[in-house]
Amino acid sequence: MLCTECQGLISEYIDGALELGEQVKIERHLADCEPCRAVRDDLLQIVHFSHQLPEHAPATALWSRIREGVAELQPRFWSRWWAGLRTLNFNLSVPQLVAGAAALVIVISIAVIVSQRQNGSSQSVDPKVRQADVVPLSNVDVQQLEKQISRLSESVEERKNSWDPELRTAFERNLYYIDQSLAECRHQLKDNPADDVSQELMLNAYREKVRLLEGFEKF
Amino acid sequence: MIRTRKTTKYLIRPVICTLLCLAILSVSANSSSRFERTYSPRGTAHLSISNVNGSIRVTAWDRKTIVARANADPSIAIEDQVLGDDITIWTRRNLSLGRANFEVSVPPETSLAIKNVIGKIELQNITGHVSVNSFDSDVHLVGIDSPSVDVRVTSGDIFFDGALHEGGSYNLQSMRGDLDVTLPSASPFNLNARALSENINLGSFLNNLTGSSRGPKGVSGTHLRGGPRLTLTAYAGRILLHKK
Repeated sequence: MLCTECQGLISEYIDGALELGEQVKIERHLADCEPCRAVRDDLLQIVHFSHQLPEHAPATALWSRIREGVAELQPRFWSRWWAGLRTLNFNLSVPQLVAGAAALVIVISIAVIVSQRQNGSSQSVDPKVRQADVVPLSNVDVQQLEKQISRLSESVEERKNSWDPELRTAFERNLYYIDQSLAECRHQLKDNPADDVSQELMLNAYREKVRLLEGFEKF
Repeated sequence: MIRTRKTTKYLIRPVICTLLCLAILSVSANSSSRFERTYSPRGTAHLSISNVNGSIRVTAWDRKTIVARANADPSIAIEDQVLGDDITIWTRRNLSLGRANFEVSVPPETSLAIKNVIGKIELQNITGHVSVNSFDSDVHLVGIDSPSVDVRVTSGDIFFDGALHEGGSYNLQSMRGDLDVTLPSASPFNLNARALSENINLGSFLNNLTGSSRGPKGVSGTHLRGGPRLTLTAYAGRILLHKK
C-alpha cells in the first residue's frame, strides 16, 4: 500500500468504518511507515481531544429562525401534496379493487410476522437474571470516570515521550481500540438510549480505559 | 627495515588482544541474563508475577516447590520477595523495553496473579485462584479447575479450557480479541455474555439455556441448574462457547 492510499483511508480507519481486509492492509502499512503513523497519531489526538470538548448548544435566536423557516415551508408542501392528490383518478375497476385489497392484506401480514419475530428475539426473561444484567449508566458514574480519565491522560501524556517506541505504539494502539469501542457504544446509545447492554458495555469500556491509563501511568 | 618489522611484531599482539577482549565483551553484552529461584511454601502459595514485555508460562506439577526461571535481556532487572507463602516476582520498569520470558512450575493449588503489558500468557492445570491482567496479550488457560478466574486484556484472544466450580466466578474480557471457552457439556452455570460486535455463538449450550434474555449483543441465562457465574465480555471480537 502506498502512503497516499493509506492517508486517504486513515480517517475512515480511525472511525472504524473500513472493511476488515482494508483495516489489516492499513495496519500492516502503519507498522512499517513512520510518516503515516505520525498522521494517524495526529488524527487520534484530534479525535481524543475533541471528545473532551464541551458541547455548545446553538443560540435561542438561531433556533427560532430555524423554526420559522420550517413553518414557512410546511403549508407549501401540504398544499402541493393535496393538489397532487386531487388530480388522481380514483375510478377503479373491480379487478383493480380486488388486487389492491390483496396487496393490503399481504403488507399487513408481513408487518405482523416481522413484529412477532422481533418480540421473539428477546424472549421471556427470568426476572432474577434480568435484574442482575442491568447496570444503569448514571451520568454521575460517567462524569467521575471521565474526570479520572482526564487526570490520568494528562499524567501519561507528560511521560509518553520518554517511553520506548514499542511501548508507546502498544499504548496508543490499545487506547485507540478502547476509544473505538466507546465511540461505537455512544453511537448505539444515540440510536437507542434505553439499550441496557450498550450502557453496560460503555461503562465497562470507560473502566477499561482507566485500567489502561493506570497501567501505563507508572512508566 | 629490521626495526620496522620488530615494531610491527610488537604492535600486532596488543591489537589482537584488544580485538579479542572487545569480541568477548560484545558477546557477553548481547547474551541474556538468567533468573532462577526455587521457593518452598509451607501452605498454599500465592504467586504474583509482574512483567512488562515477554511471555509468562505457568505449569502445574506434582511437587510442593515453586521453580521460577526467566531469560531476560541484560537491561532487565528481575526481583523477588517472599513473605510467608506470598511470593512476588517482578521485572523492574525502565525506559528500554527489554524482554523477559518466564517459565514457572507450581503446585496445582497455587493462587496466581499475573500482570503483563505485552506478551503471551499461558497457564496450565492450575486449581487455585487465577487473575490475569494484561494489555497486549493472548491468554491461554488450559486444564483449569479453579474456584475463580478473572482475565482482562485490552487486545488479545482469550482461550479457556477447563471446569467451573459450584459458586465460582469466571470473568473473561477482551476489547479486541475472541473469547473461546470450552467447558464440559454437563457444566451448570449462570451466563452473562456481552459482545459489542454482536457475535455470540453458544453452540449447543444455547439449547439448554433457560430463563434467558437473548439479544444480538447480549445473552443471559441459566444452563442446567446454574451456580457458577460465567461473565464473558468482548467488544471487537467473538464469544465462542464449546462443549468438551
